Amino acid sequence: MKFSLERRREVKPWHLIGVPLLSVIFGTLVGGLFLEATGHNAILVFKTMSQTSYTTLYGIGDTLTAATPLIFTALAALVAFRVNLYSIGAEGQLFVGGIFASGVGIAVGTSSSALAIPAVLIAGVLGGIVWMTLPALFRAWFGTSEIITTLMFNFVALFLMRYLIYGASTYWRDPTSTNFPQGKKLDQNAWLPRFGTQSVHWGLVLALVTTVGIWFLLRKTRFGYQMKVLGDAPNAARYSGVPVKRMTFTVLIISGGLAGLAGASEVAGRAHALDPNGLAIGLGYAGIIVATLARLNPFGAVIIAIGFGGLQNSASALQSLGTDSVPSAIATTLQGLILLLALAGELFVRYRLKISKKVEVSA
Amino acid sequence: MIAARHISKSFPGVLANQDVSFDVAPGEVHSLLGENGAGKSTLAAILTGLYQPDAGHVEIDGVRVSLKSPRHGLALGIGMVHQHFRLVSQFTVAENISLGDRKQNWILSTKKVEEAVREIGERYGLPVDPRARINELTVGEQQRVEIIKTLYRGAQVLLLDEPTSVLTPQEVTTLFDSVRTLASEGKSVIFISHKLGEVMDISDRVTVMRDGKVVGNTSVTDTSREALARMMVGRDVDLSAIRATKPTGTPLLEVRGLTAKSARSQVSDASIVVKAGEIVGIAGVSGNGQRALAEGIAGLTPPVGGHITICGIDVTGKGSVAARKAGLSYVPEDRNGTGLAPSLSISENMLLTEDLPFLVNHKSAVAKAEEAIGAYSIKTPGASTPTRMLSGGNVQKVLLARELGHDPQVLIVASPTWGLDVGAVEFVRSKLNELRNQGRAILLISEDLDEVRALSDRIYVIFEGKIVMECAGEGADVTTLGLAMAGASA
Ligand SMILES: Nc1ncnc2c1ncn2[C@@H]1O[C@H](COP(=O)(O)OP(=O)(O)O)[C@@H](O)[C@H]1O
Ligand SMILES: [Mg+2]
Repeated sequence: MKFSLERRREVKPWHLIGVPLLSVIFGTLVGGLFLEATGHNAILVFKTMSQTSYTTLYGIGDTLTAATPLIFTALAALVAFRVNLYSIGAEGQLFVGGIFASGVGIAVGTSSSALAIPAVLIAGVLGGIVWMTLPALFRAWFGTSEIITTLMFNFVALFLMRYLIYGASTYWRDPTSTNFPQGKKLDQNAWLPRFGTQSVHWGLVLALVTTVGIWFLLRKTRFGYQMKVLGDAPNAARYSGVPVKRMTFTVLIISGGLAGLAGASEVAGRAHALDPNGLAIGLGYAGIIVATLARLNPFGAVIIAIGFGGLQNSASALQSLGTDSVPSAIATTLQGLILLLALAGELFVRYRLKISKKVEVSA
Repeated sequence: MIAARHISKSFPGVLANQDVSFDVAPGEVHSLLGENGAGKSTLAAILTGLYQPDAGHVEIDGVRVSLKSPRHGLALGIGMVHQHFRLVSQFTVAENISLGDRKQNWILSTKKVEEAVREIGERYGLPVDPRARINELTVGEQQRVEIIKTLYRGAQVLLLDEPTSVLTPQEVTTLFDSVRTLASEGKSVIFISHKLGEVMDISDRVTVMRDGKVVGNTSVTDTSREALARMMVGRDVDLSAIRATKPTGTPLLEVRGLTAKSARSQVSDASIVVKAGEIVGIAGVSGNGQRALAEGIAGLTPPVGGHITICGIDVTGKGSVAARKAGLSYVPEDRNGTGLAPSLSISENMLLTEDLPFLVNHKSAVAKAEEAIGAYSIKTPGASTPTRMLSGGNVQKVLLARELGHDPQVLIVASPTWGLDVGAVEFVRSKLNELRNQGRAILLISEDLDEVRALSDRIYVIFEGKIVMECAGEGADVTTLGLAMAGASA
């Protein structure tokens, strides 16, 4: 028996949906084996996971809240990835977006919501853009790898954000939080409204509207068309007269703005303050995974983000299973396993496994 | 000596070889003639052990063999020179020949190899310095290294896959001399080509392939170019020379002292004029600045020096959009990659050189694509098919449909028929001729000297980025042109 991978001549719609579905099922099975091997009741664990995340109203609410920032960061990633710009800077741009948003929120919080909320959101977008400006300039005009620069800017942003809350008594820190420093709460006028008692806030709606907007940009406008050409064949873009450098810069800036919006939505919708621990949970990096699994399709990103949000959300529930409680390390491993297999499964969208008997040899 | 018996091989969606049989005698030069995609390279890969056939088998000296790998094939005396060379450019000739040679010790000694290279070179008229590095050699010399490599390993049967596509006419002559020497020593040569003239010139026997099948097998003395062409294409074809029938008009394209760089291509101080109703050919061996010349004129690369005027408008350094607005269309050599974005659909590609509004009207693009598909008989499942799924001829038709749709006054075409089958070649040529008759100015950049000679009213020769010769197309002498293309100053 010989195994080999053969490139599919044609990728059919069936492959695009079936393969990731099978990967997730397979990942769940392997995860189940892993749970059983470590002495847990796999059925119970999966039941709890689906309950906490996908079947109860409360669970769905938490899942959607977790998915909201992921939709923004996934959009940020996919816009750039579509033109082969591998920015991994959404993480840092989200932090800076959060810093700008909370700063403005604290300043204008007492004015009416109709003024405060847009101001906070715009500030978030600007924060993301500011943080992307240098990497974008360097990439577009000097060809400096955006992967490296955006990654380094992520670290700077992280420490900047921590400093603003833990490092010194700054404008962002709540002066009354004596034992453990916390961000200053925004005035209620600057909060994104919630749906009733649910944790779900208007950030979700904004994310969905943004998704439609990005889809429209990509699909219907000249800019989107030129992005498509540039992403597919840079020489064809040059031939057609696309200003490649300016385009590169603009796409990165849009990506930065989207990531900044994620930060603003988290600040104004969830934490209502600059909350370093709540923001620095890898939302930017997770967005890259979501975008990749969604094959850079904006609507796909929404669906994957919701699945991913649920997975993230259920991990904490597993720790409170009483006698059968699953330690967080195992919950995280399980999560990673399913993701890893889903990503690895992507290979089979383009390739198929060929099993052949060994060729007999004569002479 | 070597024979194929009822060989079939399929790739997903194509039957590349279908019940193919043929025999090669010792000392014979046997041509495999067929259009692109006829299945010649696939057959060669099976004969050398690179692919295994789905059905049928290979025989060597009447004995059935099953070739596991090219190494195995070579051990049985079958060697191949590929369309694309497989040499390490940083290594010397001798080092390349030692690569994969299991006779070598752990410690490489190239002395013996160097001697062998000299000896083989003298014997078969393949002179090459064994100590030279590959990247110092011309393409023709590199090809010699490939041939020597297979001979050194003891090949009795030599397969040459489209060996002349990279050579100057003079180099072709030398290659053919070597092939004749090899045959006279009893070796068999399988010469793969789609060029009729060369096949008639060099072969003893010809096997013609079409759509994966053998459609004819004949001795060259019993056939003619016309008969072979008919077999290869399946119908009569006419590729005789066509020239301007009307006097030429005013200059529409004027290039003065153009110096430009693009990727690895460079052109310096080139001056060219193309008048209305005229096809001007640029002859030259691949890689002598053709790309920089075309991209410089078309505004894809900013010129370092010189002036470009299109229909009286100075477009120097103003970019590709300005050149287009002045009346220029450019059909690049790299069709799927520069002229078209390969993953985009035919209809999306129709928009590539349009002046687009903020909102793109995809519906009208589809209509335009469908019109082109009808008018140019483009074979495709539909307007939404990505152009990378189309065959070479259809890709070129999409590109021509779009560019000619702009009704250009000046047209630059680079290698317009390269890799196309005869039917498509005929189509492209007649289109170019039609445009000429309509009083357009056409600059034809091509490495195919026969094509340049057949279509051009005037010819420039480019060598190392400089225009080294200019002459009339009518009666242009191959030897003179060939010498100029090789850099010999006339
Ligand atoms: N590795 C491959 N995978 C799929 N299709 C192939 C492959 N190699 C060749 N083909 C197809 O087989 C046919 C014959 O190709 P080839 O043998 O290269 O023809 P030729 O050398 O005569 O131009 C073509 O339709 C080509 O697209
Ligand atoms: Mg071939």
